[in-house]
Amino acid sequence: MLVTTPLAFAALGGLVWGVLGSSMPGMSASITMALLLPFTYTLEPTLAIVMLASCYIGAEYGGSVPAILIRTPGTNAAAATVLDGYEMNRQGRAGEALGISLWSGVIGGLWGLLMLILMTEPLSRLALQFRPTSYFGLGILGLSIIASLTGKSLLKGLAAATLGLMVSTIGTDPNSGVSRFTFGSPDLLEGIAPIFVMVGLFAVTELMTRSGVKPITISGARSIRVRLPRLPMMRKIARAQAVGCGIGSVEGLMPGAGGTLASFIAYNEARRWSKEPEKFGKGSEEGVAAPETANNTVASTALIPLLSFGIPGSNSAAVLLGGLLIHGLVPGPRLFEENPEVVVGLYTGSFVADIAQILVGTLILPASLWLVNRPKPYLSGFILALIMSGVYTVHQSLFDLGIVMTAGLLGYFMRYFGFPVLPAVLGVVLGNLVESNYRRSLQLSGGEFSIFLEDPISIVFLVLAVMVVSASLFNEWRVSAKARKERTA
Amino acid sequence: MRKDLFASIGLLVLAAAYYLNATTIPTSTLDEPGVPGPSTLPTILAAVLVVIALTLGARALAAAPPRSRSSDDKEDEAPWPRALGILGIAVLYLPAATFLGYPIALFLLLVAVALYERKRPDWRLFAVATGGAVFFWLLFDIVLGVRQPEGLLLPYLQSFF
Repeated sequence: MLVTTPLAFAALGGLVWGVLGSSMPGMSASITMALLLPFTYTLEPTLAIVMLASCYIGAEYGGSVPAILIRTPGTNAAAATVLDGYEMNRQGRAGEALGISLWSGVIGGLWGLLMLILMTEPLSRLALQFRPTSYFGLGILGLSIIASLTGKSLLKGLAAATLGLMVSTIGTDPNSGVSRFTFGSPDLLEGIAPIFVMVGLFAVTELMTRSGVKPITISGARSIRVRLPRLPMMRKIARAQAVGCGIGSVEGLMPGAGGTLASFIAYNEARRWSKEPEKFGKGSEEGVAAPETANNTVASTALIPLLSFGIPGSNSAAVLLGGLLIHGLVPGPRLFEENPEVVVGLYTGSFVADIAQILVGTLILPASLWLVNRPKPYLSGFILALIMSGVYTVHQSLFDLGIVMTAGLLGYFMRYFGFPVLPAVLGVVLGNLVESNYRRSLQLSGGEFSIFLEDPISIVFLVLAVMVVSASLFNEWRVSAKARKERTA
Repeated sequence: MRKDLFASIGLLVLAAAYYLNATTIPTSTLDEPGVPGPSTLPTILAAVLVVIALTLGARALAAAPPRSRSSDDKEDEAPWPRALGILGIAVLYLPAATFLGYPIALFLLLVAVALYERKRPDWRLFAVATGGAVFFWLLFDIVLGVRQPEGLLLPYLQSFF
């Protein structure tokens, strides 16, 4: 019996929280998951991972609620849904738009789950061929891709990744047992746990950024109901959903691409393939179906590089990685061999969440709307209280709260100066992998760097990393040259 | 452009502080010659950060001043003094929880955040804060069974009975 009662409850609980959390503007999927992360510490590993994954699934639908109702996406991935979703709302078809979003989310989620099941284990078998040099190359490639694709500036992305790597060096060096940057504090001997950095960089930074900003409320909330599409409408939007599934499958595999890029590309491609492209931007049902299918597909396919190689493809996947790490689970082929019950549980829980989305999304809309319309002073206080209480549950240590606050401060200034946060998170998460495999490789070779060139997998990863960084640099130079030309013209 | 210049200076200061601390990392008896030790990566990272900071600074100085208000200034984000205020409230929670205990500290946190977010003090505010503190105490201490900070006040008061 794959679906047990605790697993079903974990999936439903995560789903409900994901929908509720992400329907609040400013609360992205990653923040919603980061707030849930400390709670999962007390759960059994399988249930914890199911809860987080279900939260991700719920958050991708939840983000479309304010996108359709008040033209403000709850998550970045719902930004494309605004284009036609809000127009449908203006035409008095809000319920229909929400229903299409929900139905498309289910289709995208199930397709993404199928891709996850089919692709993850074969890819993780490939990882069995990895040597220390391969893991080092993979870590460098992951950091390079994230630094290049997130944010507007490669330089700032690389700086953020470097900061994350610096944080990862705090604590006891695993290779030699020497203390680094602990300043005599016993609390720092174990290093800085990625979970605290994530909660700080995502959730605390957002609270700080939104302080005093005028809140957005949804008017006429009581009269809005989800109207699921009937068969003729399902047939009409099927092509757009197929486009969304395809785009989401590819984008989810690419670290750093994420749901936002997938949803916009899916929107454009759905318009290109539509029989009524002129309706896009004016309340087209396909204009809602395509991006929502895409971003829900990504919610599962972004887990493929995470589970196969341990490289999170998005902010939300990074939080899920944090969940795996706090339970001592290491993604990659070892996860399939040593903890197959976690993988099977994840697949089963995600399936439950995808199917339950229909009922939960329909029933929970009034609660979402009620929550969004709560006075912001109370909402902010409750979120902060949740952070303080949740983080304390991990080690029962106020020192951990101090780390979260420090990360929040760092995250705020990173955001203020335009530095992307995901490379920093990835640096903290991958720092140990990169350093320990680098040193292990050189130990094996007696200090000879040629060892990195003797491993074909390492060569491929390092060359790809150079190519990604070069392409990003070239692109930035091209954009700034064009801007200079326009200024002088 | 100015923001990038300040960011560059901040990164340089951070890199310098990090490097200075990296030089104090002791060598391990397990270190082999020619093989990276515990201070190798920190040294490399400090150097990388210096290079990035200098490049960012040089680019900021070479860039033309913007014609209009920077596109980086977002009107839907709090200015930094306001943003730091919320963090300050969160920081004050730590000593409050240490001395007064979880429920009282949480009540004070909820009140402080509401007032800071410009809610007028009325009976509703205190009722919501009380309800919130009780809710979280029930959720964590009773339902989840996770002990939150007990504080010093309650045990001190209990010592009289």
